Amino acid sequence: MTPGRSVENALLAGPMVLFLLAVLGFPTVLSMIYGFSETGFQTLTAPQFSGLKNFRDVTADPAFWQAAWFSLRFGAITALLQCGLGLALAVHLAPLARAHGWTVAILIIPMIVAPAMMGLMYRLVLHEFAGPVPHYLYSWFGWSPSFLGPANVFKTVVLAETLQWTPFAFLLFLTACQSIPQDLREAAAVDGTRPWRLFWKIELPLMMPTVFVALFIRFIDGFRVFDNIYTLVGAGPGGSTTSISIYIYETFLRRGEIGKALAAAILLFVTAFVLLSVAQRLLRGRAP
Amino acid sequence: MTFRTCLRTGAAALALVASGAAHAEVTVLGWPGGPEEAALRAVTEIYNARADLAEENKVELLFTSRDGFFDKLQVDLAAGSTAFDINLIATYSIGRYAPFMDPVTLSDQAGAVFGDTVLKTMQFDGQQYGVPTDLSLHFLYYRTDLIDALLADDAAKAKYSEIAMKHLGKAMEPKAPADWTWEDFVANALYFTQSINPESPTRYGTVIQAKNLLFNMMVFHSWPRSYGGNWMDDTGAITVDSEAFRTALSQARMLFDLGATPPDSTSYEYAEANAAFASGQVAAMVQWNAAAGELTAAQAATGTTAPPAGPDGRFTHIHGLGLGLNKAAENKDGAIAFLQWLSTEEAALAYARAGGAPGLASATAAKLAADRPDLVQVGEFASTYGFVMNGGTSENALSVYEVQAKEFTGYWAGTQDLDTALKNTAAAMTDLLK
Repeated sequence: MTPGRSVENALLAGPMVLFLLAVLGFPTVLSMIYGFSETGFQTLTAPQFSGLKNFRDVTADPAFWQAAWFSLRFGAITALLQCGLGLALAVHLAPLARAHGWTVAILIIPMIVAPAMMGLMYRLVLHEFAGPVPHYLYSWFGWSPSFLGPANVFKTVVLAETLQWTPFAFLLFLTACQSIPQDLREAAAVDGTRPWRLFWKIELPLMMPTVFVALFIRFIDGFRVFDNIYTLVGAGPGGSTTSISIYIYETFLRRGEIGKALAAAILLFVTAFVLLSVAQRLLRGRAP
Repeated sequence: MTFRTCLRTGAAALALVASGAAHAEVTVLGWPGGPEEAALRAVTEIYNARADLAEENKVELLFTSRDGFFDKLQVDLAAGSTAFDINLIATYSIGRYAPFMDPVTLSDQAGAVFGDTVLKTMQFDGQQYGVPTDLSLHFLYYRTDLIDALLADDAAKAKYSEIAMKHLGKAMEPKAPADWTWEDFVANALYFTQSINPESPTRYGTVIQAKNLLFNMMVFHSWPRSYGGNWMDDTGAITVDSEAFRTALSQARMLFDLGATPPDSTSYEYAEANAAFASGQVAAMVQWNAAAGELTAAQAATGTTAPPAGPDGRFTHIHGLGLGLNKAAENKDGAIAFLQWLSTEEAALAYARAGGAPGLASATAAKLAADRPDLVQVGEFASTYGFVMNGGTSENALSVYEVQAKEFTGYWAGTQDLDTALKNTAAAMTDLLK
């Protein structure tokens, strides 16, 4: 690259780099400072360095581990459900989607709705006295489960998340499925391969990189879930539906423990970063 | 465009902004939506129409969303925002906002207009931080048709006694709600629950809004307070792990365990609980006074009285919304003048007539008996039964409510036992209120 071209590149990339530094860099640096400081709303402009105290407080807080366990379970279960369902739908509906592209648009509608709106919608739909679902269950069977009661609330939030985000996994798998050369399928058919064996031995192995990516993206998204759970049931009785993001929000704004909240956020960031690195290594290892 | 032209344009824009800034007004950040906004708009119009009011002291209103209002306000105040001169405060958040606000001196009429109990809802460390504009407390809402039928039917009374004997260990007689103790409240709730009494006309005897939300703890507090419960004693020692809280929490838990409140009510807040009562499937509930219009409109046969009594008497949690002075205000003189006017009888009556719910002393409330009879009851209950827990206006009061909401709802939902809930609450409160 010539010196002139290098200067030109720097000039062109400069504004974008400055923008990213301002939008992402500044909050990140500030979060790091507050995460290692004794900070409240009264001392926002004069944080006192406190070393690792906030991190010790966070890791000694049972509520943090309760939230971490909730996020882990929620992220893993919803990722598996969404990817399982999305894969089944993609393989099953691929011929239909190929023939009628508009069906895909209908299937991805839930993904377009804002998660917070989805939470509010379920809050209304599942309310025992105002919601249509319990109303009809009472009318037809004289009974309705308490969808948002302590016994069922976890299943309900998992179901709500799965219904909303399965289309995302479906879209990824449909693209992967349609990119498999048709010749391979035809050759397998000529050899008398049955559909299940075709899927298991040819299609699925070719789609595995996409499966890993989808699982990873959906797990991270589920792990850091906030808006739909918060609008649907809040932090839950005894903190039973408190995810890591809800824990951070409540610690920061409701309890005013800014340093502790940002220490938890840094831990969340580091965890996500490590998981991302591991996933990338795995994907590189599997690449042909 | 040349560099020189750019500079000229920038200077012109700056001059325009500067001229706007010189045209200072008093900006009030109010509580958005609902009757509070309508009432504030009405009194602001009256104030701005005063002939002796200088142009630069006219009041303009600023409203944001209710969602996360107090969180956003906290950030704004802490950052020294000058976007508003006067801001909303609430009893439970005064201590948190006090470092960023200035105390105010109210008009000479304030004591007579509001009375001491209500003025105290806007005080912190002995200083007045705001004008009380709206008062919130709790009513016991009940279905008069159901209670009348129960009191008139001997067979129903016998069934009531049988249910009370089975679950509360004593054969109780039904009473009129104005005479209820909390045990009567529980017995009534059990009697009107279909899973306990298949003859009940309602599915549930009561609805307890038990979402893990700080406001729900305020609704609950009248219960332990009537058994003598408080957050702290006079020496500052935390007293939440007491027989009073144990009794109230256990009684409420019994209602969850026996299905006398909807199982989903661990996710209910104000709107959901109201919807349950309005559906006609709930016999009685303790709810904010603000719900009176909505609930009586939905169920014509709805009566209201003060919350049930305990051995220490009858109590209702009270808290006020009010308006106070931002320490970083740019037009302090104008803001103080408006706050002082707001604490006069003229302003309080206009605010009430426009739909607000100020807590007024009985003499002032009597002047509204024809227009706002509900305010007479609010004023009477506030002065007779109103209480604020020791520490209820402290810097960390909101956090205390948060802790209690988490721990107590956990106990009600069965995710932890009573000892653990109270131990965790006491430990957190000791830290927060030290």
